[in-house]
Amino acid sequence: MKKIILENNIPVVIKENKNTPRIALCFYFKLTEPEKKAGLYTLLNRLFLQGTSKRSAEDIAIELDENAIDCYSEMKHDFIRFKLQCLNEDFEKGLDILSDIIKNSTLEEFEKEVIKLKGEIPAEMDEPKSKAMDGFYKNIFLNHPYGHTYTKILEQIDDITKPDVEEAYKNILTNSPKVISIAGDFENKDISELMKKYFHDIKNKKETITNIPAPTLEDNKIVKIEKDDAAQAQIIQGWHVPTIYDKDYAAIMVMNTMLGSSGLSSRLFLELRDKKGLAYVVRSSYEIYEKAALFNVYIATEPKNIKTSLEGFKVELDKIKNVPVSKQELENAKNNLIGKRQFFTETNLQQASLMAFYEDKGLGADFEDKLIEQINKVTIEDIQRVANVCIKEPSVLTILAPSEYLKEV
Amino acid sequence: MENNIKKTEIEYPYLTKPVEIYERENGHKIILAHKEGGLVNISSWVKTGSINENDANNGISHFLEHLMFKGTHKHKAGYFDKTLEAKGAIVNAATWKDYTFYYVTLPQGPNGEYFKEAIELHADMMLDPVIPEDEIGPAFQLGDDTVSQKRERHVVIEEIRMRQDQPWTKIYNNTNKHMYTQHPYKRDVIGFPETIASIPRETILDYYKTHYTPNNITTIVAGDFDHEEILEKVIKEFDFKGRANAQNPIHKIDTPTQEEQYYELKGKISTGFAITGWLGPVANNIKDNIGLEIINVILGEGQSSRLYQNLIEKADEPVFNVVASDFYNFKDGGNFFIQANFKADKKELALNLIKKELQKVVDGDITEREFKKACKTLKCNFAESSERVSDIAENIGYYMTVCDNLDLVEKYLETLDSFTLEDVKNIAKQYLQIKNSVTTVLIPE
Repeated sequence: MKKIILENNIPVVIKENKNTPRIALCFYFKLTEPEKKAGLYTLLNRLFLQGTSKRSAEDIAIELDENAIDCYSEMKHDFIRFKLQCLNEDFEKGLDILSDIIKNSTLEEFEKEVIKLKGEIPAEMDEPKSKAMDGFYKNIFLNHPYGHTYTKILEQIDDITKPDVEEAYKNILTNSPKVISIAGDFENKDISELMKKYFHDIKNKKETITNIPAPTLEDNKIVKIEKDDAAQAQIIQGWHVPTIYDKDYAAIMVMNTMLGSSGLSSRLFLELRDKKGLAYVVRSSYEIYEKAALFNVYIATEPKNIKTSLEGFKVELDKIKNVPVSKQELENAKNNLIGKRQFFTETNLQQASLMAFYEDKGLGADFEDKLIEQINKVTIEDIQRVANVCIKEPSVLTILAPSEYLKEV
Repeated sequence: MENNIKKTEIEYPYLTKPVEIYERENGHKIILAHKEGGLVNISSWVKTGSINENDANNGISHFLEHLMFKGTHKHKAGYFDKTLEAKGAIVNAATWKDYTFYYVTLPQGPNGEYFKEAIELHADMMLDPVIPEDEIGPAFQLGDDTVSQKRERHVVIEEIRMRQDQPWTKIYNNTNKHMYTQHPYKRDVIGFPETIASIPRETILDYYKTHYTPNNITTIVAGDFDHEEILEKVIKEFDFKGRANAQNPIHKIDTPTQEEQYYELKGKISTGFAITGWLGPVANNIKDNIGLEIINVILGEGQSSRLYQNLIEKADEPVFNVVASDFYNFKDGGNFFIQANFKADKKELALNLIKKELQKVVDGDITEREFKKACKTLKCNFAESSERVSDIAENIGYYMTVCDNLDLVEKYLETLDSFTLEDVKNIAKQYLQIKNSVTTVLIPE
């Protein structure tokens, strides 16, 4: 892995992988200003492939598809990132289109994109799981941009104007800190020259100070969502926990692996699925944001099992808080976590994506190696301690189910 | 090395070495694929799925897949998952109409130790499952709340419930049921809660013995390893002990409906969902399958596709939220689909607009430019599927199990290169007539 810095101070992290047919590039734009109205950044993100001063939306779609180039943008809570992936021989063509999209998007299709998004949200909400998740995130990040879910967007989208989106575009283009990462077989390409050619004229802000505040959660909350024809109840409970910058990051990852994030041998899987037959899907997750993180547990189960499932969660959560884990279980979880990271960094796109993620967070593109060291150092005491740090009131519990089953909750 | 083992090789696009195919005297096939990197994948594909099911045992292939993880005579339930996951493995399985497959993807470990242990445990699981009564759980009447031992039967029933809440799955299943009339493909792979609640252990064991035979199993290893050593290892661990081979039934190929069919379902939703399906060619009719794959790219894959551009981007008024096409290959005849989500009060208009777009393609209105784009996309799909050991193995598993022939991988690119626009037009006309279609719509109550 190596790193070059362009004249405009944009860092480019590079990893060469021989004998791979497709090159991948990620371009990160950190969001440093809170989203003023729910949906503003979502709309901006969607408008990126909808036309530039050189190419219409249809031109872009055809040019990409004719060359089998994957190029798209994604909006996460703390960044907008572009991903480019194509056959090695088409890399320069891909860069040409990507740089055009980044620099020259016209945002002309604003009205149409608003209409499209307003149509897609109800379609998404027809899936019970999406509806439950929407209710969960909206409440655990109440009054915070991280809680700008689909239904929140529907409430506010009509207040967003084209000048709002233009301003946001201008702002991220000039004021946001940026990172580029590339992985692939470069053959005879001079990556440094290519980056200079296509991206030297983009402004970069070196400082990574963000004005997005840290979200808070004051009280326990139960969110009930009625869906009378649901065959399963959707249950999700979450807590605000330390994020990636915290010394406990690695320990929380291991705890999450042990409890329910990984495969068929985690505690929640064994106890709630294998032994009690309560669910097909049951898991825990640890979600990272710039200014927050969540630890969540999730189960989808027959509605009459809601109480049993909640009791099952409580038993397992209390256990990890109160009973030291065995040395063997800890070692298994660490090896599981470390081994699986290879699986999640197998392709060039996955590698580029992870390098840019770490670089954007200021942790360095090679943070993965440090993280593995930290994982190896996690102790039995760490697991119990972070379980007590993470799983404590307040929490948000969201349950979607037919109304008759919600009464007793 | 075992005697009488037949070896062939094929050139696999984007891999740096040929893929080796070994067929043992008992019919068990072993495929070795080289891919640089630290990860290896070992999988076994069994030629059974809903293709071998009937009304009485529908769902048994998938239920058995769950129960294969419940221990062997050597290792009790949980050992396999726990041991391999503690080495960073991804272990899982999947069941579909023509196949059931089991896989492990993991880092090789020091001196390839993890890898060898994975081969041992995987072979043990494939050849010697106990399927214990207490892991299946007692048979019960659906709705009986007094059942105390809720084990794997309930897990599968929860999986069925999960699918009942998915609008797309609901309409796919209904369309599928009416596209096929005789063939077992008409049944949903996962089956019904009533069957899963009551099917006896003996029936499941019999099903295992009938179908998990040497001639029905292909074992695939993908990664960077010593081929001779790993071939020996797989042969040693896959000791079938003279197990008799299966006589797979030959099913009559279904013919498409001759009159357009339409079904309407209702649910507590706020938008409309639709799927229109057509029967396609058998999987090893590579020419017609490629033709339909080309049409799929032109009509409904990606943002430059006809359906997306004409019905969403350039629409006179907003009707569709989603509109795309898809194509599935099955041994005895696949499916071509158009799927759409639309505004609930625009149902008639939505269905008419889809028909209009389809008719243009059937009438031969396809440009050379669209045709070239589709060919490039299909070629690039090979590059994509050669990036991960798990994807390489899945692609090989598909060709070996569904098409019965890995040579088709080589033939695929040759056939694609020889395709003409005229061929594509003829295939559209042959397979995608409105009168041969089945549509299911799900709209708000």
